[in-house]
Amino acid sequence: MAPPEDSSQPRLATGCRWGAENKTVAERERVILYPEGALRLRDTGLRILERCDGQRTFAQIIAELQAQFSVADPAKIRADISQFLEQLRHKRIVDY
Amino acid sequence: MNDSALHMISNPLALIAEVTHRCPLHCVYCSNPLELSAVNSELSADEWIDVFQQAGKLGMLHAHFTGGEPLARADLTELIAGARAAGLYTNLITSGVGLAETRLRALVEAGLDHIQISFQDSREETANWIAGAKAHAHKIELSRMIRQHKIAFTVNLVIHRQNIDHLDEMIAFIEQLAPERMEIAHAQYYGWALKNRAALIPTRVQLEKAVEIVTAAEKRLAGRIRIDSVVPDYYARFPKPCMGGWGRRLMLIQPSGKVLPCHAAEVIPGLEFENVREKSLESIWQESSSFQRFRGEEWMPEPCRSCERRAEDFGGCRCQALLLTGEATATDPVCSLAPAHPIIEAALLETNSTAAISGPVTAGSFVQLQKRVGDLWSYRTNPE
Repeated sequence: MAPPEDSSQPRLATGCRWGAENKTVAERERVILYPEGALRLRDTGLRILERCDGQRTFAQIIAELQAQFSVADPAKIRADISQFLEQLRHKRIVDY
Repeated sequence: MNDSALHMISNPLALIAEVTHRCPLHCVYCSNPLELSAVNSELSADEWIDVFQQAGKLGMLHAHFTGGEPLARADLTELIAGARAAGLYTNLITSGVGLAETRLRALVEAGLDHIQISFQDSREETANWIAGAKAHAHKIELSRMIRQHKIAFTVNLVIHRQNIDHLDEMIAFIEQLAPERMEIAHAQYYGWALKNRAALIPTRVQLEKAVEIVTAAEKRLAGRIRIDSVVPDYYARFPKPCMGGWGRRLMLIQPSGKVLPCHAAEVIPGLEFENVREKSLESIWQESSSFQRFRGEEWMPEPCRSCERRAEDFGGCRCQALLLTGEATATDPVCSLAPAHPIIEAALLETNSTAAISGPVTAGSFVQLQKRVGDLWSYRTNPE
């Protein structure tokens, strides 16, 4: 299975969707519901997946995150996001 | 239980809704209790919808619709809409029998998120033999219809001694149905499957071959079809974390509204179960003596009590312990450390002895086999 390419448009896989926002915790937290489970997302993971809307390209998502985390190494940000999306595709939560 | 202990309980995550025990299939490994809920005791649509509302407020995320066959309820669309409105992810576990395009469309429009179809085999004759019904061809047709809709699709395949020898063929069969996910589950020996265990346990050689085939398929299908597989715990070194721990994650509601910590809990003597007609889900979750009975570690015997794996597998399955040892508090006998493990070793010895192993059965001879061994197994019956 290949990692996403710059022109890939990551999106939630068929039958996966956002659940209600958890308002009982201080930090912003959302869940993605999928067939046999749920993924609780905060912070970076949440920022990435909220951008996986099937419109933005992988390159755009990386650029936006690199802008937000300007102190971190851009190459590392790219590698982390790529790996994260690849893992989620493996679980059939994300497609690209 | 005192207040501080009550606060330790996290909320349940999923509701298993057995909306009816009626079923057009008669599978020999059905997990339903031998004593099925009567048709006239089933909860009404309004009662179910109220249960879903309560489940959503309790923080549950998923509603798994199962049975029996959920489609046997004419009001299923209304129930799915009710669960979705309560904020739950809706999963329909079905044989697909009786599901035509119009009804499928209505279910999807009502908010169905995921549909899971069980296949009994890749070969029509064998599949119908195991199901005790002619359903195979319809399921294939239904799978094609499902792919026209934007919902998640899982194909579930139960494997056992009678079909495991052509697992690769079954995986290829599922692959062309193009689901997001396939579940390859060895039959678990409860209910009807325990009754039919001798005909269902695979041999060690069969199992090892199956594990290899699944591993290769996972690699080949990565990124396209996710494979979740369940191994037969009789061959495992340690028990499965049954239900993710007793009273930790799941609530199961029977057609009549009775609330259980798991599918098979009724086999355990001395447990009393509440009904959603009389109590709220929250009070049952927090206070029910049956949910508290094996929650946490207080009930554990040795070697579980001091075992470093106790927070991983929770001592295994209480129902299996009861069914095989007569004691619900025993360590699950499938555990290699369990005092009662010789029970499992004896069952496996019998399975793997040369006398017990019948040669591989070819597709064409299944029907003959069925005739020859009329008492091979008992088909699941239907409720009154």
